Amino acid sequence: MSDLQITSVTKDFGETSVLKGVTLDVKDGEFISLVGPSGCGKSTLLRIIAGLETPTSGNISIGGKDVTQLRAADRNLSMVFQSYALYPHLTVAENIAVPLQMRQMTALQRLPVLGTVMPGARIQKQDIAEAVRNAAEMLEIGTLLDRKPGQLSGGQRQRVALGRALVRDPAAFLLDEPLSNLDAKLRVQTRAEIAELHRRLKATFIYVTHDQVEAMTMSDRIAVMMGGEILQCAAPDVIYEDPDDIRVAEFIGSPKINILPVERNGTELTVFDQVLSSHFYGDSPKVMQLGLRPEALRLTQSAPLLTGRVVHFENLGSEVFAQVALDSDGSRVTLRAMPAQRQSLGLGAQVGLTFDLSAAMIFDAEGARLRRVELAATRAPEVA
Amino acid sequence: MAVVDHSVAGIAKPKPDNRQARAGWGLVAPALTLMALILLVPIIVAAVLSFTNYSLGNPGFDWVGVQNYERLFTRSTYEKMFIATFTYVVTVVPISVGLGLGAALLVHSLGRIGDIYKTIYFLPVMATLLAMAIAWEFMLHPTIGMVNRTLEMACGTWFEALPFFANGCAEGFPLWLGDRDYAIWVVCFIGIWQGFGFNMVLFLAGLTSVHRELYHAAEMDGARSGWERFRLVTWPALGPTTVFVVTISCIRAFQVFDTIEAFWPQGGGPNKSAYVMMFAIFEKGIQQNLIGIGSAITMLFLLFVMFLTLIQRWLVERKVHY
Repeated sequence: MSDLQITSVTKDFGETSVLKGVTLDVKDGEFISLVGPSGCGKSTLLRIIAGLETPTSGNISIGGKDVTQLRAADRNLSMVFQSYALYPHLTVAENIAVPLQMRQMTALQRLPVLGTVMPGARIQKQDIAEAVRNAAEMLEIGTLLDRKPGQLSGGQRQRVALGRALVRDPAAFLLDEPLSNLDAKLRVQTRAEIAELHRRLKATFIYVTHDQVEAMTMSDRIAVMMGGEILQCAAPDVIYEDPDDIRVAEFIGSPKINILPVERNGTELTVFDQVLSSHFYGDSPKVMQLGLRPEALRLTQSAPLLTGRVVHFENLGSEVFAQVALDSDGSRVTLRAMPAQRQSLGLGAQVGLTFDLSAAMIFDAEGARLRRVELAATRAPEVA
Repeated sequence: MAVVDHSVAGIAKPKPDNRQARAGWGLVAPALTLMALILLVPIIVAAVLSFTNYSLGNPGFDWVGVQNYERLFTRSTYEKMFIATFTYVVTVVPISVGLGLGAALLVHSLGRIGDIYKTIYFLPVMATLLAMAIAWEFMLHPTIGMVNRTLEMACGTWFEALPFFANGCAEGFPLWLGDRDYAIWVVCFIGIWQGFGFNMVLFLAGLTSVHRELYHAAEMDGARSGWERFRLVTWPALGPTTVFVVTISCIRAFQVFDTIEAFWPQGGGPNKSAYVMMFAIFEKGIQQNLIGIGSAITMLFLLFVMFLTLIQRWLVERKVHY
């Protein structure tokens, strides 16, 4: 167990640059998720950490030791692959035993027949069998030890792959979308089990996923990657409530955040000609973007900031999502409401919406967060 | 009531079943007839003839019991036949499978250049063996052949320290096709040269089905050397391919004929040292019109091939299937 540093790592495949200088510090025992849309370079980054891919430039160090030039087998990391990559000809027990055999036994001891008569081989084998049993018990696959991977279900294979990773004591666990081949129900269950495993082992986990729910529910910190860069790396609640970039805000959160255009005319901030704040003295660009989470929007009858018609409606039982097409430009915003408000949200119903400026996030035209503008805008009424 | 109902149903039921069975037999009849006519009947006829002294053109034949088989196991000609055949099989199969696997692994590890090697190694497979045999015959000619001329160039150099060259330079290099100690080995060499490209292509096909992520998993698990990765991933994944390649190679090795017919049309090499089974069948059954003994060798041949196929089935079902 040790911390892991990634320092300005880049990776080019021919002309295309997949990673554009990624820097990330992972603390000992931390569960960190690399999340982003497909093609953002998250899997490449994981494979560079593992040593299966060499970076074009930059460094990887584990426990303060530079391992950039070290091959994967010598880095003492464990990896769980998306396809599980179990050896099809070996039983579950043999699969889990492979990393121990490869590392603890000599080439002579591993020989099929001759190996058994080599000095020390018997004790080694007993130790390995013991370790395999422990790992299998931890994952509750003790009854499957004699089966071949071909006879297992997806969830069981996934556990075997986990077992193979945790049977030895690696510096960190690398998981490459391990849940993406499971069905929805099993995914939720395994998600909880992996998080619990992390708490029990207190080991460093680096978890690659494109599923924001997995990232939000399991991680200590989330690194949101896009276009070969880490846009933001922070705790899940910070990523959700206080994103640095409009792309982070748009990627995390379901349904997606609503983006509205904001303009500044003198001291007035306006959305579709509705005045948000008339005493804005801050320094800001003329055109900005306003980010509003669905739960920040409220239904209102008196003096609505936005008006529109309900065009789509989703009832999830505990909450209700309605898509409202705005009268001003026809763009759609998503609103989260309580089930009690269902009646006023029938398809085609005319609704008025309002929100608190303090719950909104303001970004510039390029998408960078403007925290000072937010501060000035929310404080302005008090000053006046 | 229930009992009556049951019996009525019992009588009525077999009718559609019968009709379905009859339709089924009707549908497989053409395939069954063809199979019997062109596969089973000839084998049975050969089996029957192997117990007779029949010759083509004779009005009748006599039953001779197991006399033909007895000859196979007592006469020295047939002893030579078995020795030549098994020498060929035991030499050619492992070497051509091993070389095929080695070449496939090397070609697979190359990029585009691999295609060139693939073509080159596959050329002998595509060429007509009969024509190639004639080319080899010229090359192996004791005096004007390329092989011995090349070897002679080594005379007078340090090569003469080797006993083979010392002997060759003093008393002349081997006659190759005319020497009973060399003849069968030359045939083996040509068999390997001709056959391993085919095995390589089969192994290459097998290699493409190996999951790439398994190699990464092996690397993460600590398999450092190429040999360890081969043992952990490649070799087990090639199991089914290997069984198939070995069986095909064995059957092809038992069937060797054209080289021997091209080199020694009059009788299976010097002192019958390359008198393989296929050639024996041809010589006895066709050239000498001794259908009885020819059929007996054929039945033995069939037995070997059947045995190999059974081993293959057994291996495929038991050991390499997952």
